Amino acid sequence: MASRYDRAITVFSPDGHLFQVEYAQEAVKKGSTAVGIRGTNIVVLGVEKKSVAKLQDERTVRKICALDDHVCMAFAGLTADARVVINRARVECQSHKLTVEDPVTVEYITRFIATLKQKYTQSNGRRPFGISALIVGFDDDGIPRLYQTDPSGTYHAWKANAIGRSAKTVREFLEKNYTEDAIADDDEAIKLAIRALLEVVQSGGKNIELAIIRRNQPLKVNCVSKKKKKKNEKKNFKMRLG
Amino acid sequence: MAATFFGEVVKAPCRAGTEDEDEEEEGRRETPEDREVRRQLARKREVRLLRRQTKTSLEVSLLEKYPCSKFIIAIGNNAVAFLSSFVTNSGVWEEVGCAKLWNEWCRTTDTIHLSPTEAFCVFYHLKSNPSVFGSCPRKNMQITILTSRHVTEYKTSESTGSLPSPFLKALKTQNFRDPVCCSLLEQPNIVHDLPAAVLSYCQVWKIPAVLYLCYTDVMKLDLITVEAFKPILSSRTFKGLVKNIPQSTEMLKKLMTTNEIQSNIYT
Repeated sequence: MASRYDRAITVFSPDGHLFQVEYAQEAVKKGSTAVGIRGTNIVVLGVEKKSVAKLQDERTVRKICALDDHVCMAFAGLTADARVVINRARVECQSHKLTVEDPVTVEYITRFIATLKQKYTQSNGRRPFGISALIVGFDDDGIPRLYQTDPSGTYHAWKANAIGRSAKTVREFLEKNYTEDAIADDDEAIKLAIRALLEVVQSGGKNIELAIIRRNQPLKVNCVSKKKKKKNEKKNFKMRLG
Repeated sequence: MAATFFGEVVKAPCRAGTEDEDEEEEGRRETPEDREVRRQLARKREVRLLRRQTKTSLEVSLLEKYPCSKFIIAIGNNAVAFLSSFVTNSGVWEEVGCAKLWNEWCRTTDTIHLSPTEAFCVFYHLKSNPSVFGSCPRKNMQITILTSRHVTEYKTSESTGSLPSPFLKALKTQNFRDPVCCSLLEQPNIVHDLPAAVLSYCQVWKIPAVLYLCYTDVMKLDLITVEAFKPILSSRTFKGLVKNIPQSTEMLKKLMTTNEIQSNIYT
């Protein structure tokens, strides 16, 4: 059945599937893992940084991008699709600021990205965007937000979530370990993000990159590398500005 | 004929009956030239068993020269990585031969001088315990096959997003009596290609054999997929073959880093 209904985006299968959208979700799983955590006074995005080729400039491989001063986004999936979506979102952020003289809310820009993605699931001849995104930030009211979008154009608010390869494993870890105590303290929220990523991050030499936004403070992007392994899976981490 | 949205023309099933059948049959009829080409290609197809890295052929079948009690075959890069870091890394394994084959789908056109790097299968035997790929007749042999498939090929009523991939499934022949290390492969899932051929052969010849199939969402060499094979280390076949698991895990990590292919398409 799938082979007859999966070639055109605008065709439903008899049992109601849009196969191209589901295949786009498979493309998302090919990207490395990204995790987002919403704390009481902090939002954290953690990504598994892919190791780059020797001759490649590391700075051009970015998985976490700022959409505005108070909003940032991590994605998983097709790099080129992400670039297009991020550019459109950034323009929309500035356009909104110029038009209504207020910065966008996190929910507004998430809805914009989700609407853009949904348009591509209903257009003739265009394939869906092969990316999922985690969007974090603080609104003017000081409340932290975390949203997740997927290739179908849906978006939801989350307390903590993961996207990309092995997202299910990370999500299960978060379900077990996300407690009100864990996220009340900023450092504990950051440690939770790192521990969640370590469940799935592969071989040594790979780094973890974190983006942190605290209330009324600008975005900070840090690199984390494993210092040493101790018994009982407790690890020391060295944070340095990346 | 029907046209799609993208302008391609595809053949639609015709409900009008047998109008076009004669024309189609003519197109399908094989000419003598076609038959001759096919015969020549069939003659060129060959499978050769060679002794170690030299070009010397093994005159007798490999199994008769080195008959064994435990035969483990790994198919695919994740299964091979598991075997080379956990099994062949513990103990001294000696390469006894390799198999090379050629058919018309191979990329190389030279059928006579297949280089050592084009071996499709390399055979190892354990020096300290020759009965593992050693000296017992086929009667007491037990075969273990390891392979992996993409999780989207796993047929289930749940959505693939909710499956705990990677996960292991097993399929065994009737004569295999040992307990398996994971749940059995449910219907309507089927096994394809070489693992299916080996299992069918074993079922027909009443050889105890088990296939461990890892469904994963990452088909290239991946640490988490290889580690999904770990439960089989507790089986009877692998007990005693694996000595140092932490060292094997380190060996596996090194294998990952050396074999990593840089790709910028997905981030």
